[in-house]
Amino acid sequence: MAQVGLARQRLARVVPTLVLVVAAVFFIAPLLSMARFALQNVQVFQLGTSNLFKNWSFSEVTRAFHEPAFGSTLLLSLRLALGTVLLTLGLLIPTALLVHVKLPKARAAVEFFTLLPYMVPPIALVAGVIGFIRPNARWFVSSNYSLIPFYVVLALPFTYRSIDAGIRAIDVRTLIDASRSLGAGWGTTLRRALLPNLRSAIISSSFLTATVVLGEFTMAQVLLKRTFPQFLAEFGRKEARGGIALALLTLVATTALLGLLTLLTRRKGATGRRGGLAETLTAGPITVPSERA
Amino acid sequence: MTALSFHGVRKTFGPTVALYGLDLDIKDGEMITLLGPSGCGKTTALRIAAGFEFADSGIVEVGGADISGTPAHRRNMGMVFQSYSLFPNLSVAQNIDFGLRTRKIDKPQRQKRVNEMLDLVQLGEFAGRYPHQLSGGQQQRVALARALAPQPQLLLLDEPLSALDAKVRATLREEIKRIQTELGITTLFVTHDQDEALAISDRIGVMSSGRLEQLGTPTEVYRRPSTAFVARFVGSMNELRGAVTGDSVDVLSYRIPVPAAAQHATGTPVLLLVRPEDFELVTEPDQGLSGTVTGVTFQGATTIVGVRLDVLDQLVNVETRAGADPVIGSRVAVAVDGTRGVCEPAHVVVAAVSTTAA
Repeated sequence: MAQVGLARQRLARVVPTLVLVVAAVFFIAPLLSMARFALQNVQVFQLGTSNLFKNWSFSEVTRAFHEPAFGSTLLLSLRLALGTVLLTLGLLIPTALLVHVKLPKARAAVEFFTLLPYMVPPIALVAGVIGFIRPNARWFVSSNYSLIPFYVVLALPFTYRSIDAGIRAIDVRTLIDASRSLGAGWGTTLRRALLPNLRSAIISSSFLTATVVLGEFTMAQVLLKRTFPQFLAEFGRKEARGGIALALLTLVATTALLGLLTLLTRRKGATGRRGGLAETLTAGPITVPSERA
Repeated sequence: MTALSFHGVRKTFGPTVALYGLDLDIKDGEMITLLGPSGCGKTTALRIAAGFEFADSGIVEVGGADISGTPAHRRNMGMVFQSYSLFPNLSVAQNIDFGLRTRKIDKPQRQKRVNEMLDLVQLGEFAGRYPHQLSGGQQQRVALARALAPQPQLLLLDEPLSALDAKVRATLREEIKRIQTELGITTLFVTHDQDEALAISDRIGVMSSGRLEQLGTPTEVYRRPSTAFVARFVGSMNELRGAVTGDSVDVLSYRIPVPAAAQHATGTPVLLLVRPEDFELVTEPDQGLSGTVTGVTFQGATTIVGVRLDVLDQLVNVETRAGADPVIGSRVAVAVDGTRGVCEPAHVVVAAVSTTAA
């Protein structure tokens, strides 16, 4: 009996480690390969185990920085990200609060509708835009910023879930009642009693929005906008190594930002609060934004 | 002077009637408890007073002024909630300060008031803590301080103790009573716990299915319940099946004088409700109802003796002074003092049994 128990205990320790190692290799090997291909000044066919540390340089990345379109497309994408974040928060926070407090019965329906953009491929969405909005409101789609509302829709499955998780984690109803009984109107209640307690949910949903915007390719392509992902694709076609280098850099920057925000959302006084980035990413049916080009 | 009045306040939620025209006057400085099971309308009444719900018809007055249409944040009422309602992002002191800030009081005055309140609830050294660093009882004390800080006209307490464990509940109950008496603030307290209601109220309003069944002092409600519902809900009750004869109730051949029986016609089958302390174990079998002891529960000063009566197999509890407690299985006789008994007309089936038996 004891023997079996011991063997089982050992197995319970070995299996998770094994899974972790396999998964790590699966994720890290391609990244390392990307890094070697892009950042090592060695002919591809010569890359092997003997020259692991030879001739590493950032010259490919710097080359990308000197491309004239680099700055302008990055700036446009950042602006689009900012606009999308603001519009998303402005629309979603009041909606989610309203649904939660006044229309709890509508919650399932709203949840379903916010998931739709995840099920409908962006290409179908953009086909609708071309078919309907372009002939009817040409002036609208001609602006670069016309992408913003579509990005809001694209990011909806992630952002709504994040905000919703944040709202669920606090007793919104009681907080509203308490605030109002203390003489606060709706504005003060939102500003002083609700938003600070949704902080981590707001940060994580902003981050998810930005990730979607900075990686979205299809819509921008079809609507002929030169966003950062367009530049990335173009540059990659022209300069194989430079493209990979830039993609890798984007990935690293995004990950660093993710780490930073996870740290930020875990501040004092917030213990036990939900809706932070980690919870949003691990909870629910969606795990990772997949709209990246 | 009347501090808070409900006049014919009616409220429905869809097909459900939460309040059937509530009439209630709360005097200045008084502590009134609305007591009842869940769904009886007590919380709805409180939320209407607070301005979180609005009545379908009827008027709510504070100090004689109609406030029926005033939104919650202009009502100047302090409220403590059942669930922990402190703002998690604010410290204890900031929580207490919240209502002072919304009233645009200047800073030094606010600071002074916050300190007063911290002293009042004896949490001075916790000023800088955050809600999640406090126990449930401490959180509710802060919530009380926060509600009282802006010097509200009325204090509304919505089951503030029910999330706490028994010991804390008892202490906090006393503390609420002390603070309420000290400040002389008119208070409307809502609870489903009769012990709480009996312990701290000046008057209790017992509610059932959207109606106020009885309004009276704790003693009145306990000693002279005006309806069978009140009798059953407040304290425990024994039920005896019998039939009315003049101002008595006959349980078979045993006649119990019950003043309340006079409201019913002779021959009416009734359920007679009498408290365990109005029952007595007697030595002579012909002076009471005979039965067998089924249980003995020692309670300190008193003992509850469970007796299965020979008559209709009815189970009753008899509260006796601790002393020579009977043994389970022994034969006893039970005398009933029906002076404070309440009669409720019984169902037909029961009537058939009791009349044929008689």
